[in-house]
Amino acid sequence: MTKLQDLATVIRSKNAGPLTLSLDLMFPSEESYQMALRSSALTAEAIGRLYNTATEKISITSYDAARAIKIAMPRKIVSGSPGDRDVYGAQQHVPLLGLEL
Amino acid sequence: MSAVQELLKRRPTTLRVLSASGQLGYGIPHQAFAAGLARKPDFIGCDMGSVDPGPAYLGSGDMATSPAVTRGDLAAVLLAARSLNIPLIIGTAGTSGAAPHLDATLAMIRSIAAEHKLHFRLASIRADLKAERVIQALDTNTLIPLGGDLSVTAEDLKASTHIVGQMGCAPFEQALALDPDVIIAGRACDTAVFASIPKMLGFDMANVMHMSKIIECTSICCEPGGRDAMLATLNADGFELESMNPDRRATPLSVAAHSLYEQADPVSFTEPDGTLKVDTATYRALDDRRTYVSGATWQDATHTTIKVEASMLLGHRAVLLAGTADPKVIQRLPELIATVESTTRALVPGDYQIYPRLYGIDGVYPQQERNVSGSIRESFILIEVIAQTPELALAAAKTFKQFLLHQGFSGRQCTGGNLAFPFTPPELAAGKAYRFSAYHVMPAADHRELFPVTIETL
Repeated sequence: MTKLQDLATVIRSKNAGPLTLSLDLMFPSEESYQMALRSSALTAEAIGRLYNTATEKISITSYDAARAIKIAMPRKIVSGSPGDRDVYGAQQHVPLLGLEL
Repeated sequence: MSAVQELLKRRPTTLRVLSASGQLGYGIPHQAFAAGLARKPDFIGCDMGSVDPGPAYLGSGDMATSPAVTRGDLAAVLLAARSLNIPLIIGTAGTSGAAPHLDATLAMIRSIAAEHKLHFRLASIRADLKAERVIQALDTNTLIPLGGDLSVTAEDLKASTHIVGQMGCAPFEQALALDPDVIIAGRACDTAVFASIPKMLGFDMANVMHMSKIIECTSICCEPGGRDAMLATLNADGFELESMNPDRRATPLSVAAHSLYEQADPVSFTEPDGTLKVDTATYRALDDRRTYVSGATWQDATHTTIKVEASMLLGHRAVLLAGTADPKVIQRLPELIATVESTTRALVPGDYQIYPRLYGIDGVYPQQERNVSGSIRESFILIEVIAQTPELALAAAKTFKQFLLHQGFSGRQCTGGNLAFPFTPPELAAGKAYRFSAYHVMPAADHRELFPVTIETL
């Protein structure tokens, strides 16, 4: 098994607007990118469990030109609303680091 | 002859676009900007704002950036554009692009012009929306939250301190028709800042929008990314990208990867004027630090839609900042916080909310159960209070502080106090608290009328 953090060159999170959290994964080679695309750890179901979010609210798209996978889901708290802990959403990638592919 | 008239007369078939800043007001790296000017750009574009920093700036009308640094950045781009007699376009003035942000930015521009004896035609475009206009959309179920869950009511919209629409190219085209030298816009799509001039000159819209999407963030599309000025050279078939900092390389992979940045969908982007799709785009290295891009597609919108952003006042915020390093305090911290919250509520009556964040435990990630692992060496405690008055928020924070400092528990040895304060007072009034009341999209057949343009001669 390979951990995502040992495979990807970029594992990042950021808001895509104040209502949406987006997670980007980028890979150093076609081989690692294909491996991630095939992985059962990177399905909407698996990501939904990891982020405690309903499967149908998770979108996963890939962009071959950038060897990148994009995951998007609604933020649980709108950016900057009371109780928020990450206004920019830049530290929400951490659950992905140890993901076994 | 105005800078825009001059450009229209020349009608260059190759257009050099200099992106000076992706967020004006934090300082423009000088060397790269000067290198960009030496390349004789046809116009300069800058983005000056974003929704990223949260609801406080749109709500309050304040800028996120320092007035002195902001004025310095504005002076740098204005003096450069005037000395080359090329158009300068700035979008999302003053962080959020509502009336106070735009007015403060225009006041700086006028003051810089007076100081340097500059004379030019200044167009400004307002982006404020009346609550009634947005309520119309709400009433017809055409006000749709963008990407997540945010319900909005007519009352929220009426109570919002500022509501802005995010303009596309059309209002800029109206401004360009008035022969300006400088355009300062309220809330605007980053792309419109860079796309309006090449659109006016008849360049292919797919390339124009794709270029604009990438260069609005300056050199973030490079390896390594940064904030240095970025030059795009647009021709009939595509565009070339080059950072004005020689250490930043625009590679096919780094440029392609940029389309993911802060987007929910990496290949399809809906703008007021249409939809850009980049799945068919090709990225070709010209050398190790320049990339040529072409092949995206563009579909004009059949119905114009615009993004609506609003922010409303929630109350007043006070914060308590403290640390602890005692292992027994850390072990019991969640329980101590809960006890002290009850004590505070009993002693300081009134309507307020308390949001504790225990860094080292759950400061960034909320946990269902606050499990405290044995390995935590120190914890930072941030207690946030939001109340209807600043006095009440601060009163609750003060009482919370004192009771948490001295809260006893079985086995406690640190009877001098549970907390380390970094300074006094450790409880601070943190100003007004806002929340986004709308982040929606609505149909806007009246796109042009919603964003009025004025022109003045300085």
